[in-house]
Amino acid sequence: MAVADAAARSNIADASLADEGDRRIDWAARHSPVLTTLARERLADGALQGRKVAVVVHLEAKTAYLALLLAEAGADVVAAGSNARSTQDAVCAALVRRGLEVHARHGVSPDEFTADLLAVADTGPELVIDDGAELTRRILEFRPDLAPRLQGVTEETTTGVARLRAFEAEGKLTFPAVAANNARCKHMFDNPYGTGQTSLTAILRLTNMSAAGKRFCVIGYGWVGQGLARRAAGYGGRVTVVEVDPVQALRALMDGHRVAALDEALADADYVITATGGTDSLPSAAFAHLKDKVVLANAGHQDREIDVAALGPGDEVRPGVTQHDLGGGKRAYLCVGGSLVNIAGGDGNPVEIMDLSFSVQALSVHHLAAGKVPPGLHAFPAELDAEIARTKLATLGVAL
Amino acid sequence: MSLIRDPSLAAEGERKIRWVAEWMPVLNRVRDRLRADGTVTGRRLAVILPVEPKTAYLAAVLAEAGAEVSVAFQGVMVHDDVAAGLAGRGVEVFAQAGSTREQELTFFEEVLARRPEVVIDDRADVIRLAHTTHPEVLESLIGASEETTSGVVQLRAMEADGTLKVPCIAANDARCKYLFDNRYGTGQSSVNAVLDRTNLLAADKDAVVVGYGWVGKGIAARLRGLAARVTVCEVEPFAALEAYHDGFDVAPLAEACRTADLVISGTGVRATIGADALEALPDGALLANAGAVDDEIDVEWLRGHAAETRLARDHVEEFVLHDGRSLYLVGAGVVVNLSAAEGHPAEIMDLTFSVQALSAAYLMQHGRELAAKVHTLPAEIDEDIARMKLDALGVRMDTLTAAQEAFLRAWEAFA
Repeated sequence: MAVADAAARSNIADASLADEGDRRIDWAARHSPVLTTLARERLADGALQGRKVAVVVHLEAKTAYLALLLAEAGADVVAAGSNARSTQDAVCAALVRRGLEVHARHGVSPDEFTADLLAVADTGPELVIDDGAELTRRILEFRPDLAPRLQGVTEETTTGVARLRAFEAEGKLTFPAVAANNARCKHMFDNPYGTGQTSLTAILRLTNMSAAGKRFCVIGYGWVGQGLARRAAGYGGRVTVVEVDPVQALRALMDGHRVAALDEALADADYVITATGGTDSLPSAAFAHLKDKVVLANAGHQDREIDVAALGPGDEVRPGVTQHDLGGGKRAYLCVGGSLVNIAGGDGNPVEIMDLSFSVQALSVHHLAAGKVPPGLHAFPAELDAEIARTKLATLGVAL
Repeated sequence: MSLIRDPSLAAEGERKIRWVAEWMPVLNRVRDRLRADGTVTGRRLAVILPVEPKTAYLAAVLAEAGAEVSVAFQGVMVHDDVAAGLAGRGVEVFAQAGSTREQELTFFEEVLARRPEVVIDDRADVIRLAHTTHPEVLESLIGASEETTSGVVQLRAMEADGTLKVPCIAANDARCKYLFDNRYGTGQSSVNAVLDRTNLLAADKDAVVVGYGWVGKGIAARLRGLAARVTVCEVEPFAALEAYHDGFDVAPLAEACRTADLVISGTGVRATIGADALEALPDGALLANAGAVDDEIDVEWLRGHAAETRLARDHVEEFVLHDGRSLYLVGAGVVVNLSAAEGHPAEIMDLTFSVQALSAAYLMQHGRELAAKVHTLPAEIDEDIARMKLDALGVRMDTLTAAQEAFLRAWEAFA
């Protein structure tokens, strides 16, 4: 039995949660008309039949639906999470019950997380849908002998694309890769509208606090930062943007936000949200400028935008909110330990947004499966991008 | 002696209360002031409000200011851990989640048996009991402060037919309440509750906001802030015109529903979203009620026309109708920010509950001088609360100069 085999190979927390996982996946499926349409029209041509596809993206309902459609198209899918804190055990259980191999458990240690990813690597994937290049970089580092099996990687995030570019510069990108993140149907929607909305709603729900009139300091004015700033203003907040790129800073100013140096921006901030995709966006050296009872959250890719270690141990004052002593009688409230606030503190991006992003991924992996893309990092084909947008507009009843 | 579900939950309840206390600076100042001036010291106070962290903190603050406080409420809006935490703070609590109607009557009677001098009431529940089955309570009752619009409507009806025997303050009519609580509090938390519970996007949605009172205004503003396209439905011409000038589409409900992805009601009127609207909605539409009345959406119609109902997500019920459409109800049709989330943000309730605390204190001091009518909170107390909030926020403002004041008084200069 294939299902039993996959289940036996899987490493998940609790198989009994499958019903709840199914319910969540059904909801995602209902609100993913683009992916459903494209899967039916494009993936069913047999190109993915029998191909080993690894899906290593935040393992919740929407990712699960993508993985299931790939499996329906004939792929041999193995899934893992791209961040242990965002993995939903119920969704993992549902995937395993539906015959997929899964290596992911919520909240495991960094070592266990890496072990799960290496277990995925050891299945010898030909095609990888990656997030932050979490699997690809581990294959290159820990399983270099498996790298020649790779026939294509399609990358979900800005951070991951940067990592792939670095590998390419070092001559390590011996296989084709697609910067799915750079597709217009991804970065123009997922980062600003998806992450913007859900990071704000997650912070407000985690804290049960008000936004109207509050000062929001948004660090980084890339696509995510732009979305955060726009939505914070939409909630009645006053926004200060911190940037290192003068053009982006000017853009923030023209968009109607205050722009200031970090020290100055922190001084009156009620909420500080990092969105640079880099590291140390809120470094410990800046903590002295924070005001008492500031709320800190990260909407960027990694857990290391806020120097959480320097904040020291915290007391959980509400589920998902820890209080940290800043010294001098000042306190900071950190959301979900500095992890991605919309994913670790909520259900992640809205379903409709991931419908677009995962349509890019589905068509990207299908494109790579044809074996015609040469090694190196490539853009997502513009004609496929346009087809996704047209399909989305059609589902909304919008004509051009 | 409190009647609560489980005293062992006190630590978790205390943690929740302590969190909101951090965000209620005005209420903290009110406590300090009342403690210093002794207005409520040793006085008997009943608080009839949903038992959740913010209301619990109001009761706790009044107790800390020296009052003997008892609390009761219906089980639908009681957090047992908060009830336990509050009991641990020296307040008598008579409330349990999921209580029966009989138990609730017992709870209210316990509160009445303590002969409260002032009641902070919700939907005029205790005031009506005192005027009907428990007239003996009226002997020692100075007055009541009413939280809700619907309670105020009932009190005015009692005043009109001459039954009202004590002065009541319509706390809802204080500017520090209705300008902020209904608009910013309900607006943010209702929109947030719907988006969080559904994990759906606002930006590609056609949203319909039914009612353009304070609640509707707040919801429309927040939905627009999240880039939804908003249509407002109204029956009142000034409100409809106001919505138009705020830049919203205005249309009749049944028409607006034809293309609606999301419909939120905030009218305070039963069956606002009735058969015509429900029949017009496309497959997949979401419904939520942000208004105070539980039946703003005709849930009975949905049940009567459903071939099947199921829980699509936590707090999201799917009605598969006989005509093949599915409609999704968020928060059971009950006020969505409370049924599917934690209610208003703490900072907003800081204003609302400062109104309540000072309203209760005002009744303690001056209630005996007031006629048995519905009163508004004196404007200077309302203004005082606004100033305390501004001060706590570090916001400064201007004052009129003597010359400006003189100019404003000298109307004859322009005669």
